[in-house]
Amino acid sequence: MIRFDTVTVEYDGRPIIRDISFHIPKGDAAVIHGRSGSGKTTILTTIVGMHVPSAGTVFFNGRAVDSTTISEVRRSVAFIGQEPVLGAQRIREALLLPFTYRANRNATPEETMIGEILHKLRLEDDILDRETAVVSGGEKQRVAIARALLLGKKVFLLDEVTSALDAESKQAVIRLFREEGHTIFPYPTIPTGSSSAPRSSESRREP
Amino acid sequence: MCRIHPVRPNEEEQVTNTIDISYLSLAAFLGLILVPVLAGAVLKLGITKRVLIGVLRMTVQMAVLGLYLDYLFRFNHIAVNFGWALLMIFIANITVNRSAGLKTSKIFFSVMAGIFVGSLTVIALFVFLAIQPKPFYDARYLIPVTGMVVGNCMRANVISLERFYSSVKKNEKTFLTYLLLGASLREAALPSIREAVKPALAPTLSTMATLGLVSLPGMMTGQILGGASPITAIKYQIAIMIAIFTAITLSTVINLLIGLRVSFNEYHMLRKDIFR
Repeated sequence: MIRFDTVTVEYDGRPIIRDISFHIPKGDAAVIHGRSGSGKTTILTTIVGMHVPSAGTVFFNGRAVDSTTISEVRRSVAFIGQEPVLGAQRIREALLLPFTYRANRNATPEETMIGEILHKLRLEDDILDRETAVVSGGEKQRVAIARALLLGKKVFLLDEVTSALDAESKQAVIRLFREEGHTIFPYPTIPTGSSSAPRSSESRREP
Repeated sequence: MCRIHPVRPNEEEQVTNTIDISYLSLAAFLGLILVPVLAGAVLKLGITKRVLIGVLRMTVQMAVLGLYLDYLFRFNHIAVNFGWALLMIFIANITVNRSAGLKTSKIFFSVMAGIFVGSLTVIALFVFLAIQPKPFYDARYLIPVTGMVVGNCMRANVISLERFYSSVKKNEKTFLTYLLLGASLREAALPSIREAVKPALAPTLSTMATLGLVSLPGMMTGQILGGASPITAIKYQIAIMIAIFTAITLSTVINLLIGLRVSFNEYHMLRKDIFR
């Protein structure tokens, strides 16, 4: 599904990640360990083409990520950051924002489907009419996840996502991904002793 | 389209219409600058040097411009007139690049195209259709109108380009989010384009709304001093405002749309090498 082949990404001539190689099969989950500032986020954002590697190749679904395949990658992959950008005034508009774009215009979801996904993520129905500026970080993350699910995304890149979630919401998010059989990367850190510990292929970055 | 009938006094009439200022009087009047200089010194504003350099630059630039325009008006040749108009656009382009913090080598042609198309379309409509001077390239109409339109385009484009690129650069994550939600490059850039065009149009928009309430607009003042009737001066003023507003809208939008093609990489992310 996602493969890095000796990938180096530079910024202002300095490498942020160097010679990274790993492979995550479809439907799998993986964790990246590393100190803060060691390039974890860069690995994730490189998958979705925020950076062009100065060396090496990123593969997605067996094809090298380049200008011709990047739109396919972006169609299938969701990137959920610590404080996701919702891009609208109210939650409902934020959830429907992608469907104002030409590419998704014919796929606008039914109200019942939105309600179902919100419920699975333990979000109340009345959140739809709340302003995005006043919802908590954890709610923002779940709204962003809900939006990605409405778009039918298959791969989820989670950048310290569950840090803002309480234990219960965390379980809800993890259960949902598990049910749908999505590829999750990196797998959310979960409380020790939990039954749903990640069976992860692990990628460690050279310090 | 309404036609504006040019007032075309012959040369002698024009001279008698406006009282010339003698060089001696002008030189004496320049002495008035001592008042702000002294005030600055008393208040320790620290602007004396800048005031003196400013006055000197203004005087020299105006002298050169006066000589050049005098020659231009006498000669009134089609190639020279249009060459001068192009030179104005060229200089405006360099100023825009520099003031907006962008590398001239990267976006020179896109900015040139924006200002060129935006201003020349409007100038052509204004001068060739509304005023209809004979000959159509008459320097007396072409040069001042081009100067005003291009000057305003320059100011507007500095604002719009600076705002657009700093907005995209600052909100890189937001931009990526839009792309990941299925937005095309143009759809992802639209919020930043809005954020950039609005402040570029705002000054002209508020000027239009309050025109004539506070002060007499520059072009109108000039024409009245030049001996034109206030009615003629008003028609010109309204037309030039419409011309300026249309030209800055066209040029800023064209510039940003072409900018999408040259300033983003193959992954639709902003290229860092366009900044100075």
